[in-house]
Order: sequence, then structure tokens, then C-alpha cells
Amino acid sequence: GPLNHTVEVVDPEVRAHVYSLVTALGGFNGDDADKYVLGDDALSCLRDIKRWLKLYDEKFNRMDVARCLGEANLVNGDLIQILSLWWNEGQQSKYMSRIALACVELLVPLTWPLEIHGEMTVNHHRHIPYLQQAQVGYKRGILNIANCGLLRAVIRIGLPSMAVPRSERTARDEGILKIMLYLLRNIAVITANARLAAEGEEEETSRSATINAFHDQDVFALILTMCSNVSDDFNMLDIPLLETLFHIVKGIDVEKLFMNDAQRTAKRTDELNDLLQQENSMRREYAKNAPTRHGRFGTMIWVKRDDAKMSTVSGQDVLRDGQMTLHKMDQSKKWNKPRRGRKAQDMSANNDFNTPVLISPSATAKLRTFVEEFLDSGFNPVFVHVRKAIERESVRVLDINKRHFLYTVSWFLAAERARRARQREKFAQNEKKPGKELEPDSFGLVAGVFNQETFVFLNRSMQNSLDNKEWEDLNAAMRCFTQILLTVQEMSQSPLEEDQEIAENIQNRIFYEETTHDRILTIIRGYTDQGFGYLDACTELSHVFLRMLERYSKENVDMQVRSRRRARKKKRDEQSSNEGNDEEQASDDEDYAEAEKMSKERKFDFTRFAAKFSNQKCVDTFVAFIKFYKELNTEQLKRAHRYFYRISFKQEMTVLLFRVDILNLFYRMIKGPGGMDSSKPIFKEWEELVRQLIRRLLKKLDQRPALVTELLFSKINSTAFYLEYGYEKQTITPS
Amino acid sequence: DNSGVVLGLDEEVKVAKKRQPIAKLDENRLLTQAGIPKLRRSARKNLKFKGRGHEFSDLARLLNFYQLWLDDLFPRAKFADGLAMIERLGHSKRLQTMRRTWIDEEKPKPADDAP
Repeated sequence: GPLNHTVEVVDPEVRAHVYSLVTALGGFNGDDADKYVLGDDALSCLRDIKRWLKLYDEKFNRMDVARCLGEANLVNGDLIQILSLWWNEGQQSKYMSRIALACVELLVPLTWPLEIHGEMTVNHHRHIPYLQQAQVGYKRGILNIANCGLLRAVIRIGLPSMAVPRSERTARDEGILKIMLYLLRNIAVITANARLAAEGEEEETSRSATINAFHDQDVFALILTMCSNVSDDFNMLDIPLLETLFHIVKGIDVEKLFMNDAQRTAKRTDELNDLLQQENSMRREYAKNAPTRHGRFGTMIWVKRDDAKMSTVSGQDVLRDGQMTLHKMDQSKKWNKPRRGRKAQDMSANNDFNTPVLISPSATAKLRTFVEEFLDSGFNPVFVHVRKAIERESVRVLDINKRHFLYTVSWFLAAERARRARQREKFAQNEKKPGKELEPDSFGLVAGVFNQETFVFLNRSMQNSLDNKEWEDLNAAMRCFTQILLTVQEMSQSPLEEDQEIAENIQNRIFYEETTHDRILTIIRGYTDQGFGYLDACTELSHVFLRMLERYSKENVDMQVRSRRRARKKKRDEQSSNEGNDEEQASDDEDYAEAEKMSKERKFDFTRFAAKFSNQKCVDTFVAFIKFYKELNTEQLKRAHRYFYRISFKQEMTVLLFRVDILNLFYRMIKGPGGMDSSKPIFKEWEELVRQLIRRLLKKLDQRPALVTELLFSKINSTAFYLEYGYEKQTITPS
Repeated sequence: DNSGVVLGLDEEVKVAKKRQPIAKLDENRLLTQAGIPKLRRSARKNLKFKGRGHEFSDLARLLNFYQLWLDDLFPRAKFADGLAMIERLGHSKRLQTMRRTWIDEEKPKPADDAP
């Protein structure tokens, strides 16, 4: 009838079949209503359900069976119950063990990560939101089942196969290990979807809950064992191990993880203070401009314009303050400049590492223990093994795994540095007590990623991602490179001579290739709209790279680089003739890749290299970054400050900053409305920088009135020099 | 058969009047008297700064100067939007030529130091 809104989204016959299988599997309808009773033919029911998933859903690329199983509550109502039955009965019965394995075999496809991807059918769009929601329910059931550690039960199923030496393992054994590990990975991946209504499930399925369960039920112990023996015993499992690590650590702040309780409390108090401060200043700012009389008091003022024109603005607040008046005039405009179309929906929700994740104190302690143990025993074996698998293009490796690898390496390198910092701190505190020596630790624990092969791999990854515009992959690669640089820097300050030597060697290798230098430049120049995470990564990389290169080239006065001269010269000519024509550039790059055969060594000149960062595109990238000033931390604010300082007072190219929008942004940062927190030391640095800039600006405006028009535009290379210095650049023409 | 009348098929089709073209902030507008020429004129006349010790209020004055000018030139756009539009126009050939001329106008005559 007309009131019947139910739309049958699944073929009723399919639904009937699936439901009857789930019913026949068993249930709570026996004599004892608390006890799950297995159906007579439970094992074949499980196998039939598996067959349905395979032969209907998989084969026809539908998700109907999975949907029906979700609606029939198979996971929480049956599978989990059966597994805990098996666990509580002591796992002795052979028949029950087979059933338990069959349950896990079903759990793996049902919890498999769902990604929105390019080739989706109507059915996918119909079922995915439902299934995502259902998976969160599955995860909650698996993590929170009261009477049995379900993850422990899953591990128990795999243990016999693990115990068999690899040479004697059957294909079935390998298969069991694989499904065990993939189930654990799936659990790590599933997150309550922020876009779907969650019913109090965020907490129970949060990262904290996952970490707690992984610790309490020995999943971390299992992962550690497998990681440290990956090349001998578990070499087919490297990828699920990597993925699990990635999904556990993505987005977690390394610094906070390694603070001690006092520091963390202090940090948290600081953060709370900051927030209150922010709110206070917001309120103060509002109070400053808030009406002092009621809302209908009806003040109106005229703004007198030079040519006898008037504008009117209403409200008492505008009476006092000229700035406020103009701000209000601007705010009241209704029209917005049409924005360029937003980019397509982010396809990689599961693999996003840019969103910060907060974890509870207990989860923090547990994760830190795991991370330290992993650094001690798992880091080198896993990452060396995975890199080789990726390079070999092994069939078990997916494209996305490269991103997992690069990000996870960068995260653990940061963790290793944070751990060392904390050890030093501890030692400094104990120094008063005699008899204790800090034993210098070598960097051997992370040496697996400090070899020539990794650098080649990393460079190639960065270049490929850049060429193919795979920005999130590039983001991960940049973070990895940054962390390698920072670790090397720390290594070079190690008290161990061997460490210093190795660091020297590595720096030499990293800085030897001029293509690396140029790539950093290309990346920072090429920012368009890749998002904040990317912006953060690329500005950090260029900041760290420049600083280290500066120091290194000072210490090694005749540092040599291998430059690809002939091709690069051509390219440079091309670049200056069609400035701003990126697409042409891209295709040209390919041609030149061919021509890049001629290479020769030459002396490296840091000043010249640093000068390449003073151009409008780099400035625009850092301007885009500093636009987030309200959300940036001290380190990030400092990074941007140093860059603008370099531009203005080292490169003497302040004209690049003399653009009304940039000046307007800088003014807002210092004077508001909505400025930076003025109680922080970094605020003072910024205030001084902007003050100096204004001084120069006013002087230049006086000397060169043409700047009044040029303030509206990005400067053309040929005139920027004149505007800065007041004379034409001397170009030497060879005679 | 009068179904055509009922359906309104025989009625004269009224053509909707063309909408007023929406004013655009383009090169032409920027180069009219109200545009850059006015900016240059009134800068010479009106922009006065207090100097050392008053940096931020001086910058505020400068920013207000541009905001009012832009509001006159193209009232629809918010300050930031207007600036972004003008910045884009600055990449065009025509404006680049004009910009160079404005700069050259203030340069000292090259004839003096020619050999």
C-alpha cells in the first residue's frame, strides 16, 4: 500500500536462505536460556554461510549477504557466543575447535575494512553505511565480551600452527596464522564513523579500548614475537603486521606518549589553561566590542570618504574604533567569491594519519611499553623485511602498504628520539646522586632504515609520488625523510665515535645528490590545496632540511654535490620563460629525465641554494600554513617565523611579503580580532618580526611610490629586485 | 479540441527579461579611473604615516586605505576576496605590462648614465 515505505534492498530469497542458516546455527532457546546451544549441524551451517559470502557477495560484487548477516546479528548473537563457549569449555573438544576456527574464518571477511573506492556499484553505496555501522558493533562485541578474552581465544586458535617450525608448516597452518593476524588487523582498523550517528560506541571502540584489549589479551605480545622473528618464521605475515602497527599508532602524538605522568599532567594543565585563555580572550574581545546598551538602541554612523561619499554602519561599537568600523563593514557583505570546486571525497578514511588521536592515561602507559619493546626487538627485522617485500613487488603487497611503511617508520623514529630525550632527562635528574653513569646507547636499534637501500627507496618513493600527484603518499614519505634527518642529526651529537662517523657518512650521502635538494624545493613550491597535514609535512621538511644542510655545509667547507648540469641548465631557462605554467613543466620534466645523463661534481654553495627558497610560491606555501596560526603549536609557529625571517633579513627579499593580503594576515595575527595568544614567548618574536617588516615597508613606500600598486600583486621576478634594492640586477653577459 | 487552451499551449510565451549583467572585477574595471589610477593619486595625497613607534597603527591605516578603495571600486566583495581577485588579475599580460610601466615611471632616467 502507499504507507508501506519498506524498500526491499536484498533479494528476498537470498535473505530467506541466509536467515535460515543463521537460525539453524544455534541460539539461546534451549532449556537454560543463558546458555548458547549449538545447532545439530553447526559446522556445515558455518561453512554454508562462508560459501554464500564467497559465491554470492564476492563473485557478483554485491554486499547483500553481508548485509543480511548484519541484520541477523550473526557476529554478536552467534559467532562470539560460540567462541566463548569453546573457550569456557577448555578448548578440548576437537569438533568444537573446528567450529571455533570456522567462526574466525567468518569474522575475517565480516570485519574486513570497507573503503569508499572508485568502482562502486549502487549496492555498495546502499550497504556500506549500514555495514560500517554494523562493524563498529562487531568490534564492540569482540572487545567487550565479558566472560572470555575473545582476542586471546583467537590467538589460541593460531598457537598450534605458530609452534610448528616454518619448514614443517602446512598450507593450512599458514592460512590459520594469516586469518588470525588479519582479524587482529581488522579490529585495529574499525573506528566509529564520525559521519554516522554513533550510539555511545565511540568510547567502547576507541583507540584506547583497542590498545587496552591488545595489551590485556596478549595481542601486543604476539605481535612482538612475530615481528622479531619475521624473517625466520613468519615471512608471509610481514604485511598484516605492518598494517596492524600502522593502525595502532596513526595519529598518536609521540611527545605526549613519552612524557612522564607529571609532565603529562602539566601538559594537560597547560592545554586546559591555553583553552581557557583562548576562551577568555575571545570573551574579552567580544566584551571590548560588545554593545553597552540594548540591541535596539539603534546607533548609526557615517564613514566619511574622501570624495564626499558616505558609508553607513550601524551599532554602537563602531563609534569608538575606526578599525572595528571597517571590519564590520566588511563582515556585513553578503557576497562570497566563488570557490573552486572542492576535491573529491577523501577515499582513504581508514588510512588517514593526519587526524590527531587522543588516548587515555592507561592506554598511554600500555602503548608506551609496547612501543619500547618494539623498538628494542621488532623495528629492524620488520622494516627491513617489509621494505624488501615492497621493492620486490611481492604479490601480498598493496599500493597502500608503501604509505603504511613510510608513516610507521617515521612514527617509530620519532618515538625513538622521544625515548632518548626522556632517558637523558631522567639521567640529568639523577646526576646529583653519585655512582650512576649514563651508558650511551648506540643507534643500532633503528639502523635497519639507515642504509643506502632505504635512502634509494625513499628518494624513489618521493619522486614517484610527486610525479603522480599521490599527495598522501608523498606526505608519508616527507615525514619519513624528516624523521631520518632529525635522527641523523641526533646521531651526529652522540658521545659514541662510531655513531658520529656513521652520521657523517649518512649526511654525506643524503646531501650529495643535487636532485634531492631540488626535490625539496619543487615540493615546497608546488603546494596548492593538499590539505593541512600535507602542508605541515612539507614545511617541516624544508625547514629541517635547510637547517641541517646549512650546518653541514658550514662544517664541510668544500662539500661536493653531484649535479646533473646540462639538463638542469636547459630546464632553468625553460622555467624562467614560462613562469607559472606548471602543466607544461610537468611534461617537460619527463623529457629532461631522459636528458639527465650528464652529471658532474661541483662545489655546493649553501647561500645560492637557500636563495632559491625566496620566491613567491614558497612564500605563498608558508602563508597558507601560517593562516592556521590559531591552531599551530609553538614549534610550528617558530618554523614559519624562521622562514619569514630568512626571507626578510637574510635573503633581503622583503618585497615578497609586501602584499596586502599577507600584511593583513600578519596584522590580524598580532592585533586581532582573533589574534595569537599574546602571553606566549613566540608571540613576542612574531610581533617583533612584523614590526620590523612594517618599518621596512614604510621606508620602501616612501622611496618607491610604485610599491602602492605593486602591493596588490605577486611580484614579477624582473621587478622584484628593483623594488627591493632600488636598482636593476646586474646581469653579466659573457663576451 | 481545446486541450491546447487548457494546457496553456496556445498562450504567448513570455520571454523573461534578461538579467542585468553582474558587474565584474576585471582588468577593465581595475584600470578605469576609479581603479589603479585613483589608488595612485590618493596614495600620494592621503597616505601619511607617523613612523617609528607607531608601526601597527600605520599598518592599520594602510590596510584601511586599501579596504576603502576596494569597497569603492567593487562594493560586492569582502576585502580578502577582492584582494585575491586582483592578485589573480596581476598575472595577465596586459597588467604585467602596465605594472612595469608604473614602476619605470619612477625610475631615474637612464639617459644620464648611458655611456
